[in-house]
This record gives sequence, C-alpha cells and structure tokens, in this order.
Amino acid sequence: MLKYILKRILMVIPVLLGVTIIIFFITRVLASDPAPVVLGEHATAEAMAAWRADYGLDDPIWMQYVNFLVSAIQGDLGTSYYTHTPVASELAARFPATAELALCAIIVASICGIALGVLAAVKKNKLADNASMVLALIGVSMPVFWSGILLILLFSATLHILPSSGRVTPLLQPTGGTGFFIFDTIAKGDFEALGDVLVHLVLPTVTLSLYSMAIITRMTRSSMLETLNADYIRTARAKGLAKRSVNVKHALRNAMLPVSTVIGLQLGSLLGGALLTETVFAWPGIGKFAVDCVLKSDFPVVQGVVLLVAVIFVFMNLLVDIIYAWLDPRIKYGAKEEG
Amino acid sequence: MEENKLKFSRRQFMGLLGTAVAGTAMMGMVGCSGGGSEKKGDGKAASGDKAADSITYSLTADPRALDPAYFDDGESAVVSCNIYEGLYGFAEKNAEVKPLLATELPEISDDGLTYTIKLREGVKFHDGTDFNADAVKTSIERLLEPNRNSDQPYASFVFGEEAANSGVKTVEAVDATTVKITMRAANTSFLKNLAMALASPIVSPKAIEAASAGSAITTPCGTGPYKFVDWTKSASVTLEANEDYWDKDNAPKTKNIIFKIIAEGNTRITSLLNGECDIISSVDPSSANQITDGGYELFSEDGMTINYMAFNTDEGGICADKEVRKAIAQAINVEEMVSAIYGEYASVANSVMPLWMAPYDKDVKQTAYDPDAAKATLAAKGVTKLACITYSTARPYNAKGGVELANMVQGYLSKVGVDVEITQYDWTTYKSKVQTDPYDICFYGWTGDNGDPDNFMNLPADSNRSMNVAHWDNEEYKALIAKGIATPDGDERDAIYKQCEEMMAEEQPWLLISHSKNLLGYSPKVKGFYYHPTGVAFFKGVSKEA
Repeated sequence: MLKYILKRILMVIPVLLGVTIIIFFITRVLASDPAPVVLGEHATAEAMAAWRADYGLDDPIWMQYVNFLVSAIQGDLGTSYYTHTPVASELAARFPATAELALCAIIVASICGIALGVLAAVKKNKLADNASMVLALIGVSMPVFWSGILLILLFSATLHILPSSGRVTPLLQPTGGTGFFIFDTIAKGDFEALGDVLVHLVLPTVTLSLYSMAIITRMTRSSMLETLNADYIRTARAKGLAKRSVNVKHALRNAMLPVSTVIGLQLGSLLGGALLTETVFAWPGIGKFAVDCVLKSDFPVVQGVVLLVAVIFVFMNLLVDIIYAWLDPRIKYGAKEEG
Repeated sequence: MEENKLKFSRRQFMGLLGTAVAGTAMMGMVGCSGGGSEKKGDGKAASGDKAADSITYSLTADPRALDPAYFDDGESAVVSCNIYEGLYGFAEKNAEVKPLLATELPEISDDGLTYTIKLREGVKFHDGTDFNADAVKTSIERLLEPNRNSDQPYASFVFGEEAANSGVKTVEAVDATTVKITMRAANTSFLKNLAMALASPIVSPKAIEAASAGSAITTPCGTGPYKFVDWTKSASVTLEANEDYWDKDNAPKTKNIIFKIIAEGNTRITSLLNGECDIISSVDPSSANQITDGGYELFSEDGMTINYMAFNTDEGGICADKEVRKAIAQAINVEEMVSAIYGEYASVANSVMPLWMAPYDKDVKQTAYDPDAAKATLAAKGVTKLACITYSTARPYNAKGGVELANMVQGYLSKVGVDVEITQYDWTTYKSKVQTDPYDICFYGWTGDNGDPDNFMNLPADSNRSMNVAHWDNEEYKALIAKGIATPDGDERDAIYKQCEEMMAEEQPWLLISHSKNLLGYSPKVKGFYYHPTGVAFFKGVSKEA
C-alpha cells in the first residue's frame, strides 16, 4: 500500500505539469491583453507597453512559463495584476468559504442520497422507488442557478425566513480564526454567530447538494439492487435473519464501496469551487473569484486557482483509491507489478 | 498488510464517520431551526441589536484596493470616500468644487501655474497623527514622478506627466497650514481633479510609511467620517463612525457602515427586500419595479455618462465621408431606441455632456431622424454593408450592454437598404478590438471622472485609439480642446465647449444615444441618502430609523 501511495504521489507531478502547461498557454493565447484592464481607461499605449515589460509579458512564452514554474515550485504563485496581492493570499482568503460549503453540501448529499437510494432499492418498482428516482432526476436535470433562485424566491423573498446572500452577517463575523466559520464560532463559544453562520449555509448547501445527492441516490440504488440479488443475501434471508438486518448489515455495507468512490469524487468537484452557487448566493469562495479573474485576464490568479483545483482533484482521487483499498481488502493495487 | 498498522479498524472507522456525519447534521438542523425562528420576526437576517445602528450597502464587486492611489474602480471609490477626504470635494448634486480639508478655494496665480492652498487646523487622521501641510506633500508626492509606479492607475490623470509637460511640478509645504502646488502648465480641470475620490484624497503619512515601498497601504487611514474596521475579501468591508471627526456639524449619524459584496443583480434585489441590505447599487432598469412594488425607494438621478455609437473615420473607410455618417445618423430613431431599451431610466442625449453639467446648451442641433433622406444618400453613396462591433457586458452608461443597441441599429439600417454585420465581444476583449478590428461603426461610452467639460469633450481629440474610437482627427477641434483646458472657468470657457458640442453635432464622428441614470434601491428607513453623480455615496449625513 505504501509503495502504491508513493507511486500515485509521484504520478501527480506529470499531471500537474500538464495542467500548468495547458492553463498557461490557454490564458496567454486566448485571453485578452490585461494591460487596459489593469491600467484603466486613461492608460497611454506607452504606459501599457511599459507595464507589459515590467511584468515580463513581452518575454517569449516559453520563458514566461519557465519563470512561472520555477516560482510555483518555490511556493510563489505570483501576484495578482489587478489587486497587487500575492495569489496565495487571495486563495487562502477565499478557500475556507468554498471548503466549508462543499463539506456541508457533501454531508447533506450523502445522508439524503444514501437514504433515498436504499429506500428505492428496497422498495423497488413501488411508489417510494419511483418518487426517489423522480427526485434524483430533478436533482440531476435542474440547473443549479435555477434551483438556487427558486429557493431564494421562496425562503428569502417570499417567506423572509432565510438570508439569500453571504456567509454571515458582517458584524457577527468571527475574526482571526481558521476561516471555517462553524469551527471558529464554536471555538470562541459565540453561539449567536454560529446560528447566523448555519442559517446562511442552509440555502447554498441545499442548492449545491442537489446534484450530488441525485448522483449518490442513483448509485446507491443500483449498487444495492446488485447486492440484494447476491447469493449471500439469499442465504442470509434463508437463514431467517431480520429484513432490516439483511438490508443494513449485509447489503448496504457491501453496496457502499462504489458509493464511497462517487462521494469522494463529488467532494473533489465541489471543493474546486461551485461557481454558479457562489454567484447566486454571493458566497465569497474561489469559484466566483476565478471567473472574475478570467474576465480581467488576471493570469497569475487564474493559474493559481486552476493549479489549486487540480491538486485537490488529484489528491481526492488518491484518497478515494486508498480508502477503497482499505475498506475492501480484496483490492490489491499494483499487485501485477509486485507479483 | 499495511492496514493492520492502522490504529482503528474499518468497523470503528465507519462508526466514527457515521457519528460525525450524524452529529454535524443534527447541529445543522438545530442551527437552522433556531436561527430561522430568531430572524423570523422582522424577517431580516440582520444581527439583532448590532444591526439597529448599521447601514448595509451592497457593492457589485470586491473593491480593487482601499488606498486612493491604487484603484480606478467605482466600488473602491464608494468605500474609500467615507474613509478619506481630499483638500476639496463636490457639492451634493453637481461638480461644483467646495473646500473640504482646505479652508477655502485655492488662490490661483494669474498664469494658472501656482495654487496656494490654506489647510484646516485641528484635523487628525484616524491613527491620531496630525493632518498638516507635510501630510499633504507626502500624500501627493508618492503619486508624482519619479515616485509613481504603474500600479497607480489615476496618478497621471490627476497629477499629469512630465513627458506631456502637464500636471504638478512641485508640492511645497510653506508652513503647517499652507501648501503651494506649482503646475507645469495651466490646467483648469486640476481643481476638480483634487476633489475626486481617486488618487487625490489625503492619506496618513504614517500609514504610507508602514506600507511596503511602491505598494498600497494595508490599513486604510484617512481623516474621513468613518474608520476602517475589516475587509473580508469577496464578502464585505466594515467601517465604524469616527467619533473624533473634525466636522461636528456633519458628524456621522450611523455607527457602522457595511459594504456587502453581491455580484448578482437578482440576489441584490432579494437582499434588499429581505432586509439583508439597506441600500443596493446598480439596479437593472427592468427590475426597478420590483423595488417600488416592494415598498422600497428607488434613487434615480442623472449620472455622469454618455452612451454613443462611433463611426470609424479612418481614411479609406466607408464612414470617413461625413455625408455617410450623417445619413446613417438620419436612419436611426434615437428617441424611440432609448425609450425601447432603457424606458424612463435614461435620457436621450442631445449633447456629449450630461444635462446637469455646465455648459450644456440645449440648442445644439443633432441630426434629425429622416429615413427617406438617409436612404437616398446611402444609395447614392453606394453604401450597402457595414461592419459593426459591440460589447456584450453591461456598462455604467449602458445597463443593457451593447448588443440590444446593435440589433436595433441593424433593424433601422436594414430599412434604408444597409446590411449590418454585428460582432460582439466581452468588454475586456472589446477594449482591444476597438483598436485593431476593421469596423465601420462601434458602440462605446464614457463615465466621467471629475465633472469638468474637458473630461468629456477631449475624448474625440485623444490620440489613444481606445479612447477616441471614432479615430477622429480634427485639428480645429483639438485646438479648441487645448484652449479650453487652459482657460479659467467662466463665460469664455463655456463658449469654447459649446463650440465643441456644435462641431461634434456637425461633423458627426459620434451618434449620441443616451445619458444613463444612477439607479439604486434603498429602504424607506434610510434617511439622508444620496448618490453623487460622480459615482460615490457619502454616508456622513445618512441615518437609519430603528
């Protein structure tokens, strides 16, 4: 296992190199010139030329890439053209918001998705199954921005019981903590702020979890159905075990393996920034920030965000594979090479 | 075999995971129900007692910086103008310059090259240091060459450039309360520059010293009615009242001003209707009814903008011919177009400058709508096709973006036998394309900086092709602009700009379309709020009823 993990970590290097090459060249070739955006309406052609020279944008593109790579390896992702702030600081300021929302969404999606999936499998072709599948279909089909707007219209604009924007009421915001507001407010014992944070989380969490919940529901259902038809389940039933015990202890546990993979990958996807949800709910995470920076041709920030997302994806994949192997001892990674 | 070395078994792991998930879910449910009922009474997601003495204003984007030297965006300006003050400011409804940190208007030498400015005594920065002539000198000198750097977007506009022989040559602290500014050349708009929220406001020298060389200050510190408290990126900026504010007659009436960043227009409106914000900016004209129908106030006043269509006057092009430009202008019913696209939230432009800016002259005659005459001229000139570029993004002078305009113009011109091929770009790309694409007509606009006529009228005289998108090159017009900038305010200067307006109407490098209105929504509990036409909101006289 250790050898496998080391091998997978080494494989991350070419993947990340590939990602940096693609994003670097896409931004340089397809994006528009950042100079007019950065220098403003009154900038002269001479001032823009001087600025490009200052920031090395006149250098050959391969040289710009090498400079970027050398700095990135040393932990320096550069400085935002637009705000003149180090990219790492910009990302660090926004990532906790994205991560907190993603974690809440995946928890809600997992609990609801597994419950609905099991219900659908156990009650196959009955009302509960059909209802679960319709819900899953809605979750997969409905665009996030649409479901978000509907929830805002109902709970914020009409019923006035939930806030529509932001992570917390600014005057209650915990300061100087980790940036994970649930944790920070609990650590400080500020339960008024904790309530406010949780209230702000409700609508974005529900919106963001809908798609993942639908995927998890469908995966759980199909995996459960496969397991329920296995010989050992028939044997368990023949031995007279209680239905609940068979479904939960024998079937669900074995059906969870593929579901855990899906949950892991969904979390990786959500951690990469939920652009539409963050936009609709004015959630101050990295998804919305990345798009703003693309529109401003702020190359260093775009590169930094993409690199961060790639690292998250690669490591979530790795984590899923490791947990998978751990949960199911039959799986032996790299057996062929070792054997 | 490795799994045997782990400290807990798979069964224990699954158990722990389940417990954690269930615990978090329960916490969430408790929080949801508790928090929900807490806010239910007033339906507002505000924060109990603390919110009673705060006003929340929605911004559409994160400020670029909170140091006047380092931003060029309206969002930063709205926040900063409450933290910092300049030597001068504007009157409430227009661009008339009033003393602020100066005690009176400057004494300007006859040649227009020396400004002697008397400063207010007893004013302190938020960090407790004194405001005086040395502070003014330090604050301005960091924006002058050679201290200036390329990250200061408004430095050259406000304080000029040595290479162009314009702007400020030296700043001298004559004594603690007197500053003498020497100019390289006379510039009547300089006084208005000093009243702007960008570059000009005076920053604490201590804060400048604490910042890294060539970087924005990290702790915003001015003399304004509000002090900086916190900036959470992409989320909010919080200010608190400056209890030691020097102008006791206009002391801040609200304890906290919170600027909340909400980019999405519909979410901004909901946040107002749900009580999360007290004032929202950049209301889309098509959503204005939602605000008034919900019992909220709509602020709708003229802004400082011009929305226009430019003809590419480059030699050899279709629109190099003035008669063609006139004929195309005759084919377009501007009044109908403005009414259809913007409704009552923009006014038809009869001059380059907005209605409220002197020296507006309503008698300037723009080309009248006359499709029959247009058809005859264009047929005689053999014009059957035009290439048009436009922008897809909403702009301050055009809340709907340029595509709707282009489509309507395409419709008008098809009626006179001209096909218009439209190419659209996002704004950032568009800024480059107006300098490189071979277009015949393009849509553009301008948001003024300082309320001075030169700031609008010099655009068609600019050598920068992204400013002068008509690429118009008229020596007579340029001479008028050069004369206007050096002529002191008064009848003579007004006459110069009136002549500029008439030349623009006659030569038709632009087809004037509209002047936009600033649209904001606000709670009826908010009292004393106004949005200045230069695009900032001052909060020192604003309060909110409990």
